[in-house]
Amino acid sequence: MENFAFQGLIGLSLAMYLWLISAGLTIIFGVLKVVNFAHGSLFMVGAYLAYTFYGQLGLPFGLAVLLSLLGTGALGFVMERGFLRRIYQVDEAYQLLLTFGFILILDDAVKIIWGGVFKIPPIPAFLDGSWPVLGRAFPVYNAFVIAVGLLVAVLLWVMFDRTWWGRIVRATASDREMANAIGINVPWVFSAVFAFGAMLAALGGAIGIPVRVVAPGIGATMIIQAFIITVIGGLGNLKGAFISSLIVGVLSAYGTLFFPVFELFFIFVIMAVVLLVRPQGLFAR
Amino acid sequence: MNKKFAVPSILVLLSLFVFVSGPASAQCKLGVPAIKVGVQGAASGPHADYGRQIEMGATMAAEEINAAGGVLGCKVEIRFLDDENRPATGVKNARLLVTDWGAHFTVGTDSSGVAMAMGPVLAELKRIHFFTHAATHRLTEDLVAGKGIKEIVRVSVPIYQDAITAALIFKDRMDIKRWANIGADYEYGYVAWNMFKETLRKYRPDVEFVGEAWAPFLTLDFSPHISAVMAQKPDAIFATPWAGEAVMLLRQALIQGVFDNVQVWWQAMGGSVDVLEGISAEVAKDRFKGKLWATARYIHNWPDTADNRAFIERYRKRWARFPNYSAETTYSAFFIMKAAVEKARSMETDKVVAAMGGMQIRNPGGVREFRSVDQQFIYNVPAGRPVMDTRYPIPVLGDLKVFEAKDYYRYPPFTPVSVTK
Repeated sequence: MENFAFQGLIGLSLAMYLWLISAGLTIIFGVLKVVNFAHGSLFMVGAYLAYTFYGQLGLPFGLAVLLSLLGTGALGFVMERGFLRRIYQVDEAYQLLLTFGFILILDDAVKIIWGGVFKIPPIPAFLDGSWPVLGRAFPVYNAFVIAVGLLVAVLLWVMFDRTWWGRIVRATASDREMANAIGINVPWVFSAVFAFGAMLAALGGAIGIPVRVVAPGIGATMIIQAFIITVIGGLGNLKGAFISSLIVGVLSAYGTLFFPVFELFFIFVIMAVVLLVRPQGLFAR
Repeated sequence: MNKKFAVPSILVLLSLFVFVSGPASAQCKLGVPAIKVGVQGAASGPHADYGRQIEMGATMAAEEINAAGGVLGCKVEIRFLDDENRPATGVKNARLLVTDWGAHFTVGTDSSGVAMAMGPVLAELKRIHFFTHAATHRLTEDLVAGKGIKEIVRVSVPIYQDAITAALIFKDRMDIKRWANIGADYEYGYVAWNMFKETLRKYRPDVEFVGEAWAPFLTLDFSPHISAVMAQKPDAIFATPWAGEAVMLLRQALIQGVFDNVQVWWQAMGGSVDVLEGISAEVAKDRFKGKLWATARYIHNWPDTADNRAFIERYRKRWARFPNYSAETTYSAFFIMKAAVEKARSMETDKVVAAMGGMQIRNPGGVREFRSVDQQFIYNVPAGRPVMDTRYPIPVLGDLKVFEAKDYYRYPPFTPVSVTK
């Protein structure tokens, strides 16, 4: 029983990590109606920037994460202003091509700037070690990821539901022409939302650097999982992304415990079942 | 032009031409402008240091061979390609290196998955590939000894090192009865675990294998895997993720308190330079409590011979790094190729393979002996525990357990080992 609960907690930390990545992806889709395949690459850029500030320049971990968010947010801003903005009018296939092109460009850019070899910064002292939980040792780091994930969930909920800015974004998401007509600066909202989504991706990448591999190619793995989660939850649905992150994270942790041989298969089975039964996603209206 | 000067000036021009272009090819006794050796390995992603070390080993070998006059007077030219640790890329590279670039030999390859995909293609390309890292036993046991693909030659020690040495070391540890596995989720990981279990069972029927978890390439979070096998309360862990993934697996195991609860953690290829560099801080603080064990396909602090010491000195001077095993095996592959071609006086596969028959060659890693039946070079590498040693800036394997190759290599007739989870 303790093992079951413990594995659930580990799954929860996995889920919160997935949530950070898929939240940005689904917000961007909800407002801009763009499936940003390069979202995983922004996650990777976030990880590399945090590595540079923390591992190379020796800044405190928290400050490095913050600077990485700002840097990746700025990159997102440029991507939206300089490129995506020009193709909103044309067929969606072009969006896929463009964002896919960004994956290749950013992967190579990372290799040119940081080299192909993985990076390993030291683990910050406050994240090292473990706490006794259920008779086992639960890593402080995993607890930290859970805390960050929940905090982001609460902040997003407050922001979208309770603030003026959130109302503007929701208005733009539901009808961009009407929003434009009532005086909302829609292009500005688009840029801001894309940059914000990029920062969420970077947050996932940045807080991962002390214990996860920082290497070219990690973006591609993350985008597949994040995409599956947003599909299960319903594209553009934030609550859906949160709950399906929980489902996927916790179930894959149990998959590792009970069905180690089929564990990888699990996440795809969930997606296939959801697509068969409810193709619009679990939480789409 | 004045006729009086025409003939002499043409002669001067001609002689200049001969002087400039002549000697290099005239001296090469193989009738080619240069011996082209295609090199490939994983040079991007979490396993990238291996490919880089392969490239560094190859570059240094080619430089040294050329400085000493080449092979039968022929210069060696290399071209390196990144196989991205993907079978499809490895196959594509092999074709490109041979058919487009004109490679006479190819060298390298890190992953067993890539190697098994390349094997049959090499027969079609009719070029010998010297494998210098990929470890699955099937490469030599099945494809060479079984199917007769002469183009496969392996310079590095196969999976016997990862699996059988571990069984030999821990068979005497009567306190260890429960083993669990955190495996690389592909052929290498499956075979290593199966071969380990098979060998250990022969000595210790009382041992139980209590759990397993499998992590594919680019696994970022190993905590579910660690927690799943720790739920079975194992005495020891057998782990095969490698390179950057091994470093992160060990770090995640540390923060999950694994080293307070197990007696032994076997990190098969943990003796690799990139892993030792990655866990430096943890080894210095003795965070593994002496429970971490590892081996490699060459370790720079063994054997303690003049050859090896000189190699390391040259390597450090050239690259400011310690040579990883993929560097030593690749470097040695070039000298094996050189010796074989000089004996065969040809680059044809059959003649080169025949020339390797009975070959014993002194390399930095020790004396390698060619076994014709599976075209595997045989030499031994010890296993040990990562420790700090004042003579080195990074941890090295210490407390070395040395086994003779004959005690842990498999010999024909090769019995099948399961290659599934």
